[in-house]
Amino acid sequence: MKARLMIISILLVVFSLLVAGCQPAAENTEGVKSPEDLTIALVYGIQGDAFYITMEKGARARAEELGVQFIADGPSKWDPAVQTPIIDAMLAKGIDALIAVPNDPQAMIAPLQRAYESGIPVLTTDQYIGDGDYDNGSVTFPLSVIASNNFEGGKIACEALIDEIGGEGMIYILTSTANVPSDIARRDGCIAAIDAVEGVTLAGVDYTESSAPIATTQTQAMLEKEPDLDAIFGANLFSAQGAAAAIKSAGLEGVVKIASFDAPEQAIVDLRNNVIDMVIAQQPALIGELAVQYAYDALMGNTDGIPAQVNTPFVVITRENVDTEEAQNAIYKSE
Amino acid sequence: MKIFKLKQKTQSIKMDALDGGEELESGSFEKKNNFATKTLLLVGKYWVFVFFILLLTGFSTAKGFLSLNNFQAVLANNAMLLVLAIGQTFVIITGGIDLSTGWVMGLASVVASIIMRQFPIESNLALVIFCGFSTAVVVGLIAGAVNGMVISQLKVPPFIATLGMYGIARGFGYILSGGPPVSVNHPGIGHFANGYLIYIHPSVGFSLFTLPEGLTGMDLRQTTTLIPFLIIYFVIILVVSHWLLSKARFGQHVYAVGGNIRAALRAGIPVNSILKKVYILSGIMAGIAGFLYVMRYSGGVAAAGDALNLNSVAAVVVGGASLMGGEGTLIGTLIGTLIIAFIQNGLIIVGVDPFYQYVAVGVIIIIAVLIDQLKKQVVK
Repeated sequence: MKARLMIISILLVVFSLLVAGCQPAAENTEGVKSPEDLTIALVYGIQGDAFYITMEKGARARAEELGVQFIADGPSKWDPAVQTPIIDAMLAKGIDALIAVPNDPQAMIAPLQRAYESGIPVLTTDQYIGDGDYDNGSVTFPLSVIASNNFEGGKIACEALIDEIGGEGMIYILTSTANVPSDIARRDGCIAAIDAVEGVTLAGVDYTESSAPIATTQTQAMLEKEPDLDAIFGANLFSAQGAAAAIKSAGLEGVVKIASFDAPEQAIVDLRNNVIDMVIAQQPALIGELAVQYAYDALMGNTDGIPAQVNTPFVVITRENVDTEEAQNAIYKSE
Repeated sequence: MKIFKLKQKTQSIKMDALDGGEELESGSFEKKNNFATKTLLLVGKYWVFVFFILLLTGFSTAKGFLSLNNFQAVLANNAMLLVLAIGQTFVIITGGIDLSTGWVMGLASVVASIIMRQFPIESNLALVIFCGFSTAVVVGLIAGAVNGMVISQLKVPPFIATLGMYGIARGFGYILSGGPPVSVNHPGIGHFANGYLIYIHPSVGFSLFTLPEGLTGMDLRQTTTLIPFLIIYFVIILVVSHWLLSKARFGQHVYAVGGNIRAALRAGIPVNSILKKVYILSGIMAGIAGFLYVMRYSGGVAAAGDALNLNSVAAVVVGGASLMGGEGTLIGTLIGTLIIAFIQNGLIIVGVDPFYQYVAVGVIIIIAVLIDQLKKQVVK
């Protein structure tokens, strides 16, 4: 008995020594640094945008939890020529992982490839490079793209609007410009939702150039054409605000329902003031958190659990749920 | 004086500019008496009115287009563009251009919103509005004064000087706001730009300033609304500006500077001071437009006037003003703005693909300039 006990205890000691002693040793042979020496960098899409400010916040919070260093920067305008030197500067600083919001699906391939070839994991958030399929597509070196599916978002928005107007009526779509893929996807998602329900028709689609006064002009004209309009989907805040002014002027506040895509604080203020009726929020903070987590996992050698594509869910914020924790977390913070 | 050389080449009007702008406008070419020339000149002068009538007639078949509701709404919706275009008219008559007006409008809206936010929600609304309005006007005035100084004293061509201000105003707009809109949450403020003077409901009767109480849902669709507040503001600004341009000495000087700057100098007109004042006026108009934006959309944003910036130039040119200076009226600008406005409005009501609006407005701008040039050739 004694001999057995001793053998077991010796084995236990050896095993615990193995567990305690060998793990760091094994890591060191792979050249992996300890967390506090690791730096994860985020190069976001454009400065001063509440969406990216919130993404950075989420990313920074997760980095703090994980005990890694975190730095973030981004271009002053949406332009791959401005974003590329920022990425190069990050690489020169000797970062260990790169999360980027590429400003162009084609033009940003080369700069990100440089990062990948310098031996660091690359992830993209909100936007993708190549065709967005990192498994079998034209570009496969990034680990993952973490973004909301704008088509899905447009669909969710208009399904919520259709619910609100009781399953029948006419919906008008205002989107920013015809050359922003995310806005076009929102438009198409909304149209898909309208097509799916009998009794709901599309009044028309107009492009507001992200200008509230133009959206007002368009909505007012549409009200002349279709006096029985029931709801409006604004694919961005300015479209929704502009539509709201026309609705207010026509004295139809509350009669014509308005949904706004994206949730900067102004949208929530407008929601509380009955200017608009629902806000479809992406979850930039969640996107940032996930990106940092996956970058960290990759640095720790656990790439198995990282999906090549993650579609983050949307939150539909209404006056009823605006004070819930889920809704509050989804609001984009501008500072 | 280098920068004015170009203008001299294009002068068709000589010393009679000294006698003031009125003459430039109408009757300075009577020497050519032949009928064809006269007719051409008349067409050149009034085509924009004729075109406007034709445009309205063309759209009149569309349901809802020819209605009081639509007309007053189009006027109200374009109040900001009209205000910018008024300032732009003065500038263009002097032979200049103000490319910064839309972004100065945005900057003014942001600064005014920041100031208005300092007041607690329960503050006296009149005080908040007064402070916001003054702030917006001062911001516009400063931007305009810088433009005017750089153009009149430092002799930087207006195109470049105001392009510089475009960047500066845009930059400060984003710096101060951080990017997203700056919201103003005082309850009731939006009503001053979205409300009407008179509300009529078939069963409840009528009320002034606000909706009759107790109306909801389908009742709201029955309500007739008359005279949007925005039209009232706009008409006041238009009347004062029209007086300034066509009746006051200042207006005569503006035409004289644009018609022939050398002659104006020789006649003892303070050319530099007139140029400065014209850009200040344009800046103030941009400030007012920015404030109207704050009231209408409950907040300011740096890009508030981006889409209106070049439309203000287009409206003035379509309205018959010459980019070479010396010609243009505010009535023309009003019609020019309405042409652009009704094209946007009418094409939506008819249900035409939205992209055709851009083409339509573009074609009309070119026609306007062509007619302006034809007119000059006929005169020669």
